Amino acid sequence: MATILDIAGYNLDYATPTGFTRALDAVTLSIGGGEVLGLVGESGSGKTSLAWAIMRYLPQSAREAGGIRLRDKDLIAASPAEIGAIRGRRIGMVFQDPSTSLNPTLPLGEQLAEVLERHRGLSRKQAWAEGEAMLARVGLKLPAQMMRRYPHEASGGEKQRVVIATAFACQPECIIFDEPTTALDVITACQILDLFAELQAETGVASLYISHDLALVSRVATRVAVIHRGRIVEQGAVAQVFAAPSDAYTQKLLAAVPRPDHRLVETTPDPAAKPLVEVEKLSVHYGRKPFLAKLLGREGTRFTGNREVSLAVQPGEILGIVGESGSGKSTLAKALTGLNPFEGGLRFDGRPIAGIGDMDRAYRRDVQIIFQHPDSSLNPRQRIREILSRPLALYGKPGQGRGAEAIGDLLEQVRLPRSYAERYPHQLSGGEKQRVAIARAFASQPRLVICDEITSALDVSVQASVIELLVDLQRRHGTAYLFITHDLNLVRQIAHRIAVMYRGDLVELVDVAALPAGASHAYTRSLLDAVPAPASPSA
Amino acid sequence: MTETFRRMLRSPQGALGLLIVGLILLVVILGPALAPYNPDTMAPLQRYKPPSAQFWLGTDQYGRDILSRLLNGARATVVLALIATGLGTLAGAMIGTVSAYLGGRADEAIMRTIDAVMSIPSLLMALLIVNLLGKSSLNAVLAIAIAFTPGMARVTRSVALAVRKQDYVNAAIARGESAGFIVWREMLPNVVAPIIVEMTIRVAFAVMLFATLSFLGLGAQPPASEWGLMVAEARRFMHLSPWMILWPSLAVALVAIGFNLLGDGLRDVLNPRT
Repeated sequence: MATILDIAGYNLDYATPTGFTRALDAVTLSIGGGEVLGLVGESGSGKTSLAWAIMRYLPQSAREAGGIRLRDKDLIAASPAEIGAIRGRRIGMVFQDPSTSLNPTLPLGEQLAEVLERHRGLSRKQAWAEGEAMLARVGLKLPAQMMRRYPHEASGGEKQRVVIATAFACQPECIIFDEPTTALDVITACQILDLFAELQAETGVASLYISHDLALVSRVATRVAVIHRGRIVEQGAVAQVFAAPSDAYTQKLLAAVPRPDHRLVETTPDPAAKPLVEVEKLSVHYGRKPFLAKLLGREGTRFTGNREVSLAVQPGEILGIVGESGSGKSTLAKALTGLNPFEGGLRFDGRPIAGIGDMDRAYRRDVQIIFQHPDSSLNPRQRIREILSRPLALYGKPGQGRGAEAIGDLLEQVRLPRSYAERYPHQLSGGEKQRVAIARAFASQPRLVICDEITSALDVSVQASVIELLVDLQRRHGTAYLFITHDLNLVRQIAHRIAVMYRGDLVELVDVAALPAGASHAYTRSLLDAVPAPASPSA
Repeated sequence: MTETFRRMLRSPQGALGLLIVGLILLVVILGPALAPYNPDTMAPLQRYKPPSAQFWLGTDQYGRDILSRLLNGARATVVLALIATGLGTLAGAMIGTVSAYLGGRADEAIMRTIDAVMSIPSLLMALLIVNLLGKSSLNAVLAIAIAFTPGMARVTRSVALAVRKQDYVNAAIARGESAGFIVWREMLPNVVAPIIVEMTIRVAFAVMLFATLSFLGLGAQPPASEWGLMVAEARRFMHLSPWMILWPSLAVALVAIGFNLLGDGLRDVLNPRT
């Protein structure tokens, strides 16, 4: 097996006002023809820097040393014109998010044909015909129509197929995949992975597959390299690295991967207790009727976010809500916290809530929400002290302090040092920020906390510690959670029951203990099938 | 704050803008003390004198020292322009943020009204208001503030709309905060940076607008040493003694350039993406 891409002792530094920061440290990798090398690492580990270094597209502030060779071509020494001929022709790249990597103002066919015209010297007509054949090859049903469509007229999965077709179009020797399924739904991602495996076997291209998802890499890669703070800590055959990780960091990473058979919650809610929240045939519609349309008697188009969703949460219960993006999970969360108007019945602790107007102080205190991105849910202009003091000022119990003491206690409750009160959010890491958001939600001692994808922006190891904290808080306070996520493995670890949502409908409400056999709806079953089985460590 | 200052000095526009604006503020504070003569003392024997060692910038038609008049006039021109811009910005920022917060129909109503007001050119608008309220410096300030409000409202709203979608605003609503708190404490601090940039650039326009109003005889009244008024008075003697119109015009231009450069520098510094 000939080595296609060879990286030897590669160092990369970025110049910053305070000196050089090392992004990649003595990286040595090689990929042979027909091989898939999985590169696994958390955010900031230098995965994407490596991808751009191979593509020779680095910012002005980069300083590098070492060698990157494509067969016998030294890429670092290559002139810009040579690089221009290599990019797209000999090295292809597939990006994370197809909705941003495709130009929204050009038809998909144009973007694909352009590559063929430039690198294979085809005429426009030939390129167009070849493009259609490529699209048929990547499993698109109507390639001729798809060529004429604009990116916004295609779904995420279709767009990613077009991007993959573009990458494979010139039969390159090496393709870099930078988290190609992260922005897609589980089921679509699964199909893209199948397509990738098929094309890979057929073309024998050398692939560098970058991902943060260990389970996924174990499925597609033949060899795997683990990168941590710019340094390759371990590399070897997939089976070997996952079965017997030798490096401490790899072991920690593997241990943090959620496994459905490893339950974290021991408590069970009292089934006889009165339900805390009862949602009955709750619907949410988006879009208001434009004034002009009303004047002309035209029907306004309304988009349905939720269609007659009914569920109930027991006190102290963790109810998981899973579904793909756009299935209405967050819409339901927003309806319950008064951020969206809704129709239908909602009862909290037996008290009927007919609309946003009925959500009084007591309701607002008892129902708290934690958002997905701590970056946007914490006001960047306020200190942590100020952020945490608001719920105390609004809902603090008479006996409860309001000052620095109480804020320190809140921080300690989420295992952050008291001194963090004087910091601004940007001085904290992603995991720490999410802890502050959790502390804010628990400040009013709520009875229901809605967690809206709170760990999906975090790295695996940070996610594990945040989940552990949530489970601990639940045990101490007996709070009920509405845990919204797209990660089925994660929710099976902590939830008592799981509600599956699909296109605004609640399709199934199932007891976790009964999974996977208890799933009766076809969508739930395909969701269960699509979730990559976590690679099991030696334990 | 010191970090912002240091980064300002690193960019050429920022450094030059800071220098010019700093000099102007120095003149505003110390101007009358620095002036060699009384700005209003007339000297019939020293009329129409070109720049010389005795009168650095020459004298005007009544024999008044132009340098002294410029140094004294800085206060009237620059301070009034700053006040006018500040008032307009404050009103515009409030309207824009509230409009973005309310959203929906209220937003439509507010912004269409703003659009209607904006369709009148700001000078025409200022002329209209001064004519209605009567001729005086204070009314000119009000007129400029009102003329600036719609533009500022529009700029603020576009930024505030993005802030409105942030989860910290959602969190505040879900927490049951009052509308006032959300607008003042959650949203306004996050729209301040672009507003400050827009404001510094608008100070330059305000100086020119104010000078224009005075030039047309609707702002400051004689014998005030306001720069626009000085230009207006010197117009008749342009061919006889061009320095009379040259110096105040240059002063207005310098202020405009200084604040524009400062605004450019601030925009680069306050925008983390550059």
